Amino acid sequence: MKPSDYWALILVFALLAVAPTLAGPFYTRLLATGILYGTAAVGFNVLFGYTGLLSFGHAMFWGAGAYTVAIGMVKMGLSFPASLALSFLVVGVIALVTGFLSLRHTRIYFAMLTLAFGQLLYAIALKWRSMTGADEGIYGVPRPLGDVVLYYYLVLAVSLAVLLALLRVLKSPLGLAFRSIRDNPFRAEVVGYPVNRLRLLSYTISGLATGVAGSLYAPLQTSVNPESLYWTFSAAIVFMAILGGSRVFIGPFIGGLLYVFIQDTAMGATEYWLLATGVTLGALILLLPEGIVGYIWRRLGGRLE
Amino acid sequence: MVDAGFLVAQLVNALFYSSILFMIASGLSLIFGITRILNLAHGAFYMLGAYIMYTVMTALPGGASAVLGILAAGTIVAVIGLLVEAGLLSRVYGKPEEVQLLLTFALILVLDDLAKLIWGPEYKSLTTLPWGSLAVGDYTIPVYHLVAIAVALASAVGLWLLFSRTTLGKKIRASASYPEVAEALGVDTRRMFIVTFMLGSALAGASGALAGPVLTAYPGMGTEAIVLSFAIIVIGGMGSILGALAGALIVGFTRTVMAIVYPVLEVALIYIVMAIVLLVKPTGLFGGREVERR
Repeated sequence: MKPSDYWALILVFALLAVAPTLAGPFYTRLLATGILYGTAAVGFNVLFGYTGLLSFGHAMFWGAGAYTVAIGMVKMGLSFPASLALSFLVVGVIALVTGFLSLRHTRIYFAMLTLAFGQLLYAIALKWRSMTGADEGIYGVPRPLGDVVLYYYLVLAVSLAVLLALLRVLKSPLGLAFRSIRDNPFRAEVVGYPVNRLRLLSYTISGLATGVAGSLYAPLQTSVNPESLYWTFSAAIVFMAILGGSRVFIGPFIGGLLYVFIQDTAMGATEYWLLATGVTLGALILLLPEGIVGYIWRRLGGRLE
Repeated sequence: MVDAGFLVAQLVNALFYSSILFMIASGLSLIFGITRILNLAHGAFYMLGAYIMYTVMTALPGGASAVLGILAAGTIVAVIGLLVEAGLLSRVYGKPEEVQLLLTFALILVLDDLAKLIWGPEYKSLTTLPWGSLAVGDYTIPVYHLVAIAVALASAVGLWLLFSRTTLGKKIRASASYPEVAEALGVDTRRMFIVTFMLGSALAGASGALAGPVLTAYPGMGTEAIVLSFAIIVIGGMGSILGALAGALIVGFTRTVMAIVYPVLEVALIYIVMAIVLLVKPTGLFGGREVERR
């Protein structure tokens, strides 16, 4: 049987649903982090893998989501659902504005523009002490449902909903239009697609998905700090997508889980965990450019994007 | 009435900072212009330069050791550049941009931790700068800053001469623009790429050496430097040495002035300037090459 996107999704989420019964609270929390990283990376990949635009600023959506929820709950006294709705709105506005500006260019210039906007948000978070707590960030974000395991299932459910929504979009005529722009923007234009508007739509959908993941991350950690907006996290999101495989829908999700796992193993094994992480990730990029899931997928006879 | 001494001191500060930025950014821009690789680890090379300077200057105090430190940093980092180019990056020429970017990102993680392994995690600073200082009114200007500005100026002139007056410079440019023709005419393009990469890396190393004693050396100092260098080469135009100079001055002065006038916008304004330049003139102030629209 050839692998399918839906079945892969169901299998992975079924495994994740039973995982907390085997893992303790520490690993449950780590898995929840991996699920959110993975969801953010799938969101990134809507733009990268399906529309052909490399963003080097996706931490801005992740961080903006996390900060808005933290500010909403801690500084404004809003409920969790209200903070979530607010962060959806804020991330949407940021995506529309930065997308409108960045999408005047493509390729490396687009990547640099997104990087600049990401750094702009980082600089603001670092300096706007009364709102963001500057370099210390915001502590004491309440975790809804209190317990890590209960919150884990909330994270799992929301992530599944986000991924199903994204998959549905990508399988629709809109998703085909994205691919057509990725494969040949000139042809897409000639065929009559409004290329720029579709790119902005893809950028916004991509940013919102990453933003939702970020907004669930703040209550999981019960804090947020400027690192969540820094460009190295944008690079980490790109890494997760490539690590898992950008040419399979579920690839970046697995990439996010693996990234957390690799980082945690390296941190546990040595004080010099960055070195170990760097060597591992560098080797994977060189040896498995289609990603781990991409490789398995092709071996199983699945179709790569 | 603002004190004249204060203005001169701040002017030297801004020029010093711009000089450091110019040397990192011109190396990055040079490497990108010729090899089309945007080396994210370029900032880590800068960091290594700062550490090498620290080691040399603590081992042999005195003015001569500063000169030795700059030369040692340039040379050692050039050799590291050679190893990285030949061992790692030569495998990904022509590969998709994300593969190149991520490979050099992985290199940052490795080099940052190697620095920590060798020099320890704490900040490394020197208590006194060599060569003393000049008095201007109530303010003092370290001679060290003036030397750094002179070194950056000399590098700018040297690069300009290399590419406009020498055969080597022409061979390097030909290897980037018309590789087949250059090969047919007997230019070893592979070797030209290596020379370019070593030269760019040496600039990063020397820049770090000049910055180290003033800005202190620490793991991760390259990460901030690399993003500022991007801003500079995007403002000035990718691959243009003159652009790197203009971009470095814009960023250096913006930051120095804002740090005094309105620190909240000290960093943010740099990225706002960058975004405006990209929107108005996507090739940057001095970038000639047309941007690929699609």
